[in-house]
Amino acid sequence: MTALGAIRCVWLRHFDVYRKSLTYGIVTTFAEPLLYLFSFGFGLGSMIGTVKLSGVELTYRQFIFAGIAGQTLLFQAFFEAAYGSFVRMYYQRIFQAIAVTAITLSEVLWAEIIWDASKATFSASVVMMIGIVMGDFSRRGAILALPLCFAGATLFAALGLLVAAKSRTIEEISYPQYLLVFPMFLFCGVFFPLTMLPVYLQWLAWALPLTSIVSLMRTLTLGTPLQPQVFIVIIVWLAILVPWSRQAMSRRLIK
Amino acid sequence: MVASEPPLIVRNLRKEYRVPGGQPLRAVDGISFEIQKGECFGLLGPNGAGKSTSMNCITGFYPATAGEIRLMGYDVFREPRKARQWLGVCSQEDTLDSDFTVFDQMIRYGTYFGRKPEMVKPRAQALLDRFGLSEKSADLVESLSGGMRRRLQVARALIADPEVLVLDEPTTGMDPEVRRVLWDIVGECRERNLAILLSTHYMEEAQRLCDRVAILHRGKILDCAPPQQLISRQIGEEMIEEEIRPGVRWKRPSNLEDVYLKLTGKRLENESER
Repeated sequence: MTALGAIRCVWLRHFDVYRKSLTYGIVTTFAEPLLYLFSFGFGLGSMIGTVKLSGVELTYRQFIFAGIAGQTLLFQAFFEAAYGSFVRMYYQRIFQAIAVTAITLSEVLWAEIIWDASKATFSASVVMMIGIVMGDFSRRGAILALPLCFAGATLFAALGLLVAAKSRTIEEISYPQYLLVFPMFLFCGVFFPLTMLPVYLQWLAWALPLTSIVSLMRTLTLGTPLQPQVFIVIIVWLAILVPWSRQAMSRRLIK
Repeated sequence: MVASEPPLIVRNLRKEYRVPGGQPLRAVDGISFEIQKGECFGLLGPNGAGKSTSMNCITGFYPATAGEIRLMGYDVFREPRKARQWLGVCSQEDTLDSDFTVFDQMIRYGTYFGRKPEMVKPRAQALLDRFGLSEKSADLVESLSGGMRRRLQVARALIADPEVLVLDEPTTGMDPEVRRVLWDIVGECRERNLAILLSTHYMEEAQRLCDRVAILHRGKILDCAPPQQLISRQIGEEMIEEEIRPGVRWKRPSNLEDVYLKLTGKRLENESER
């Protein structure tokens, strides 16, 4: 068995659990983005009409679809990683069971992040597919956005794993959920252009990873101008969160 | 592996825990032993003696502060995959995967050793038969009783045909019947030439199952020998007379418990004198 084989093996464990309860999986993975899409895209969208973003005129439905694709990455990856891995680590002790076989804890944690990220990417790609079917997204742009989705999902999965590692009880996951994840959801340009905010809040929003992910998503799928800083923000967050989350979880388990 | 090397070697194992803002806590303080094929080796000690810490280092889960652990000729810290290919572990905590049925659990665990599901199916079935769990094959773990769960955990440890079996307090909290079943199974594993490391705080269990016993106290091995030899050299062969209730005295043969109390009790006296 190689390291990749070991990671695949643990990834398959998570995938099999997901596949076994497919109805649950479908409802939890797709219901939420679809609800937002219909409520904001069709409901609010018909009221607002168009949005001007860096000189590009978009229908509100186009604007919100790209935002919801980003938000889906955030929610699906963060919640699967935070709550899912907390349960797997704390209640089921799956990490501990696997890390004494031919698979190491390091590989178990890679599999965890990659699984959470895969699930979120899968979910976001369905949102983009709906965008294509509705005629709001360019097909080529949506395909180009897939690597971005995976990078973004990995970032939020690492954030979730870090939260799971640092939370003493499952209730404590609520703190970062309300103080970081929900503010990102509301203030990172998913629902309205950032220029509507006071300047200091714009700066704050640009420091958070979701803003860059949503911005790049709109560049790829809708052709809005590229903001070069998005790459720096995404890479820096990835470079911090992935090693930090893995180290924090190792430290929690290995005394 | 080196042809003559015993399946498990522990050399000068030391383990210190980080204590935030304080001195590191020394849980295991330089223990050494080897386990041969077909030998059951017992680590006997009270809670906090360092049994579980030692077990966690031996399985390569916790890094050792110092010392060496070799499993089937491989260093468990440097080459964990190669070393643990030969290892079966039943930890003290329940680590069964509640998302899978009893049978799928076995198969799934086999894949963690690189075994293809089709290859381990017959072995999984045979193990479940032997452990009296075949009727529960299709059930989820949560429907199992505590005794069944523990049996399943031992069965699962055997799925990849290990050469070394580590059992961390396998019978703690089990009723006498389950305990007896597990004892039989340990006996069978020994006959099939597995090297077994068993930790326990039950004297009777150690005396019955183990070819050699190490008495662990505050991270150190106080004495290590076959149970009978430990008894005769520490206590002697004579009968022990004790008062079991006020005014009621009886005589019984000395046992491991006496050795244990003598060794650890003496220790406590020495410390209180200081």
